[in-house]
Amino acid sequence: MRYAYPMQAVLARWFGWSASIAATVLLTGCDLFEFSPNEIRTPEAYRDLTSKNLTALQARPNPWGDDSLRFVFISDSQRFYDEAEAFVESVNQQPNVAFVAVGGDISDFGLVREMRWVHDRLKDLNVPYLTVIGNHDLVANGRKAYQQVYGPLNYSFTYAGTRFICVDTNGREYGFNGRVPDVDWVRAQLADSAEVQRQVVMSHVPPMDNDFDRQLEVPYVQALGDAPKLVFALNGHRHSFGISQPYELNLPFIDSYSFEKRQYVVLTIWGTKGFRLNTVRY
Amino acid sequence: MRYSLSCWVLLGCALSVGPHAAVAQSAFPAPSDTLPHRPWYVPHHVVGQFAGGQGLATIGAGYGLNRNRLELDLLAGYVPRKYSITAMGIFTAKATYMPWTVPLGHHGWAVRPLALGGFVNYTASRGLNATWDDKYPAGYYWWSAHFRLGVFMGGRIAYALPSRRPTHPRRQASVYYEFGSNELYLVSWWSNPRALSLLDVATLGIGVKLDL
Repeated sequence: MRYAYPMQAVLARWFGWSASIAATVLLTGCDLFEFSPNEIRTPEAYRDLTSKNLTALQARPNPWGDDSLRFVFISDSQRFYDEAEAFVESVNQQPNVAFVAVGGDISDFGLVREMRWVHDRLKDLNVPYLTVIGNHDLVANGRKAYQQVYGPLNYSFTYAGTRFICVDTNGREYGFNGRVPDVDWVRAQLADSAEVQRQVVMSHVPPMDNDFDRQLEVPYVQALGDAPKLVFALNGHRHSFGISQPYELNLPFIDSYSFEKRQYVVLTIWGTKGFRLNTVRY
Repeated sequence: MRYSLSCWVLLGCALSVGPHAAVAQSAFPAPSDTLPHRPWYVPHHVVGQFAGGQGLATIGAGYGLNRNRLELDLLAGYVPRKYSITAMGIFTAKATYMPWTVPLGHHGWAVRPLALGGFVNYTASRGLNATWDDKYPAGYYWWSAHFRLGVFMGGRIAYALPSRRPTHPRRQASVYYEFGSNELYLVSWWSNPRALSLLDVATLGIGVKLDL
């Protein structure tokens, strides 16, 4: 009996394919063996990035060198990977920037692989970057994926005399359960102001938004209003830049550009309440 | 309740192909290279799989149709809590089409160089934050956190086991691989032609199949 294909040719081709598949698998590690897109497994290089970036930040002297601090503010990198590459190129040309603040929605679907794709771009920044969790990062297993890749949902850090308070305000994702944002935690962070010159709050959903827990709007805004050293409140979510004072407080709220807008904000702050805002196109 | 209902619907969808298959086979004399006629509800093969977006460990059963070129499988996969908020059960209905079989020598070995397929699965997990529930206004998120659509391309090596009885055709044991992706990864890839390659959005699964 004769086969349609010569045995040796079939074997040779098959071994060729097998070899290329084996090479691909080895080159990409075992990353491709995915149990579920919702699994949170990720290599060490993609874990605890908040803590790693804070360590890197604290090791850098303030590039501005005096009382002032300059940082870049952008948000909503969700599914804008091409734009993220262009963003990194642009920020790396900015002088005296201490770090980049990303106002949430790192991912679109709350998947760990998306957070990795974002980090694969933002790790090429010349400065550390710090994030706060957005509503899209809480979808599916996103909460645990974010905790694994970045870290705590509420955290604060002090750099160049400035206390940054990053807080989860994505109330709708918790079914408006009255506990998000954690107003007591925010209040405690704001009260701890003896050692700092000024404070900044960064969250994803701003308090006047429909996705903010209505029952917490007044207490949250009051907590911010009661903090004399608070320069401004930063938020993402709205994808368009804006600066306003929506409440009867002397407190600006700044909406960030999303990555797709190919623009970002450079904020320079000094003294207790002084700041300058530039927008940059990339 | 929602979970178990969805699981039963999926089970029903996958099983409903059975009777048609049986009718199609009984209308013609079974060719000698196919499996013997049997009641529609008896699966033709059992499957065990690792990864491929269908669970850490996945088991299932299925039917071979169109002279075993088309396989329809129903799988149940498990991902432990360690890799999730709460453990995940993944229920997959899968179709695989393999146009060619290339025999390798005279000892029962064969290669099926190309397998194309698709699947839909439902992930049951208490901790999974749903996208389509009453926390949101209608249409807030366009995708489901629980349902995934996947496509894959792969191949397999099969070995014909000795017959249990001389009149029976030889059962096959096979090993397969699947390079795949899902609709969320593909949407990400499609909208980022510069940043993401197909390898970035690829997943890999391997498995074994045994004819009953």
